[in-house]
This record gives sequence, C-alpha cells and structure tokens, in this order.
Amino acid sequence: MSRPALSAAVLVGALFLAGCGADDSGPGTDGSGSRADLSVGTAYMPQPVSDSMAAGFLTVTNDGAAADELTGVTSDVGEVTVHKTVDGTMREVDTLPVPAHGKLVLQSGGDHLMFDKMKRKPKEGQEVAVELHFADSGPVTVEMPVEAATYRPSGERSGH
Amino acid sequence: MRKKTFAAAALLAAASLTLSACGSGDDSGTPVSVVSEDPAARKAATVLDQPFEKPDLVLTDTSGEKYDLREETAGRPTLIYFGYTNCPDVCPLTMNNIAVAKKQLSKAQQDALRVVFVTTDPERDTPAALGKWLKGIDSQVVGLTGDFDTIQAGARALGISIDPPSKDKNGKIVSTHGTQVIAFSPKTDGGYLLYGEDATVDDYTKDLPSIVKGERP
Repeated sequence: MSRPALSAAVLVGALFLAGCGADDSGPGTDGSGSRADLSVGTAYMPQPVSDSMAAGFLTVTNDGAAADELTGVTSDVGEVTVHKTVDGTMREVDTLPVPAHGKLVLQSGGDHLMFDKMKRKPKEGQEVAVELHFADSGPVTVEMPVEAATYRPSGERSGH
Repeated sequence: MRKKTFAAAALLAAASLTLSACGSGDDSGTPVSVVSEDPAARKAATVLDQPFEKPDLVLTDTSGEKYDLREETAGRPTLIYFGYTNCPDVCPLTMNNIAVAKKQLSKAQQDALRVVFVTTDPERDTPAALGKWLKGIDSQVVGLTGDFDTIQAGARALGISIDPPSKDKNGKIVSTHGTQVIAFSPKTDGGYLLYGEDATVDDYTKDLPSIVKGERP
C-alpha cells in the first residue's frame, strides 16, 4: 500500500507549487481576501547616454488574490511614461496589468519606464526615486539605483 | 500497470500545468523566460549560411558629409545597427554593449573596426543630433542619417524591418528600431553574423576579436 501514499505526496507537492509561495494557498483558508498585495523588486536605471532620455526597469510582484494595474509613475528627475515594446516599436500605454499571484515585469527589450525631460543626467552609483501609482493599491516609492549603461540584472536570462 | 502509468502521467501533467501558471502571466506579450540553456554553451551569434550583401547605402554622416557605406567600409570588419536616439532602452544598450566590448580590442583593431549606427528616425536624428548622442557612447561610431525610404530599403536588404515614425494618440512620435546587429567580414564584406537584442557586452567582448579577423566566433 505504499503506492497511494507516494501519489499523495506528489500531489501535495504539485499543489504547493501551484501556490507559488503565496500564503493563501488552497481552498478552505481564508487568505488575505481579494486584494492585491504588491511589492517591487530588481529596480534599476541604466546610466543614460544623455540628459534627455533614460529607461527604468523593475518587477512588481503581486502576492494577493486580486489583480491590480500600474496607472502611472512620477519622479522628481523628470517626466515618466510607461511603454510597451513590440517588435522594436515602443508605444506609450496608460496602464499595465499586475495579475493576481503574478508579476508585472519591466525589463530591457520589453515593457519599460521612459524618463523624459530630465533635470539632470543620472550617473552610475546614484539613485533615482520614483513613485508607482496603482488603480487599487496605494502608491509605492522605489529608490532606483543607476547602474552601468550595459548592466543586466543577474539571472534575467533564466527568467527567474 | 497501465493504470498506474496513466495516473502518473496525469499527475505530471497537473504539476507542469500548475508550474506554468507561476510565470508572469501571458498577458504581458513578452516571453520572460528562455528555455533552460547552458550559459557556457550558449552562442550569441547566429552564423548565416547565406551572408548578406552589404546594402548600397549612401547617406549623410554626423559631420554632414556624404557617406557611401560600401566604399567606406570595404575590407573592414563592420557592425551595422538600425536605431534612433530618442530610444531609451534597446538602442543605447546595444550601442553601449558594442562600445564597451570594442574598448577591449587593441588600438589597431579598434581603428580598423567600423561600427555604423543608421537612424530609423531621420527627421529628428539630424547629423548634429546623432553626433551629440554618439559622442556619449563612442566617438568612433559612424552615425548615418538621410532619406527614410533609402534607410528602410537598406534595412530591408538585411532582413530588418522598420516602419516610418508615426504619431500616437498623444501626438508623440513612435519610431522603430531594428532588433539585430549584423557583422560584416573584412575578408568577404559579407554580413555573416547576426546578433539579437539580448546579446550582452560579454557576448560582444568574446566575439569581436574573431569578427575583426573575419572569423567565426
């Protein structure tokens, strides 16, 4: 009778994985209700070529059971707009979705923040403060480190 | 025995389904992960079986002079990229990757190498604007501007598709950059290597010494 036990163990494993590390896994638990639970990580700005334009990248992780939307970004360094890149063309968008139990990933070659009309040229080693605004959640302030122009976050290739 | 196999398969299927649900969601339109690769075995360059002929591009350089691409780069290792300066992300990253890698070459190799940046937004990228931007990256880079149709045809000859700049609903100009860098051999003048926009500074650093000799990296 060891086989059913083994199957059960595998099944539990699969369920656990399905939870993605969120704390409200599985039915029966009350969890955090139907709210988005946002945190921001891996934020950086590659040192720009000029003071006229820069890009910013970050990941918004939503551990909550409800989706949210990034609706705007402000910074004291200049104007910030949110862009989507598709096949080499960047288009400004009003919002980007942050799925429930998911992530909004802004990364080089894809969606990104675009800084425009900057008051100064950010230099490697400095930080640029940005405030992220969401449809439901409160604003989140991020100190975005300015990295080398050729910087890539480690592990980006593997997608984790 | 059969039943057991099916059960196991079902469990595996369930596991992989739940695993795939842990990604960033498919609504971003951007694939976040690349299927597991061994970084050591990964090659940034795609070697082209059928090399590209260098496009017959006669444009204007950053000093306002006529620049005949075939003539000026004949017999020289050459990298060509199509982009624009009002581009915060991929264009400066690509150019900086190449510029940083280039600095690891010997002085003679650096002087021999031609790095050509062709604007896809010639209206805004005047010779002066291009020159100012490229100076912030590497003053040896050749910046070319001119008639959009000529540039588009040159890009198309290299399998690179660019659209003319257009205005979005807010009146902002939307431009397109190429997603590839093409390396031309000094031996044949043929475009024999292709780099995608995920090529890193390390990739170029590793490959440039081969490219300046027209060899396969």
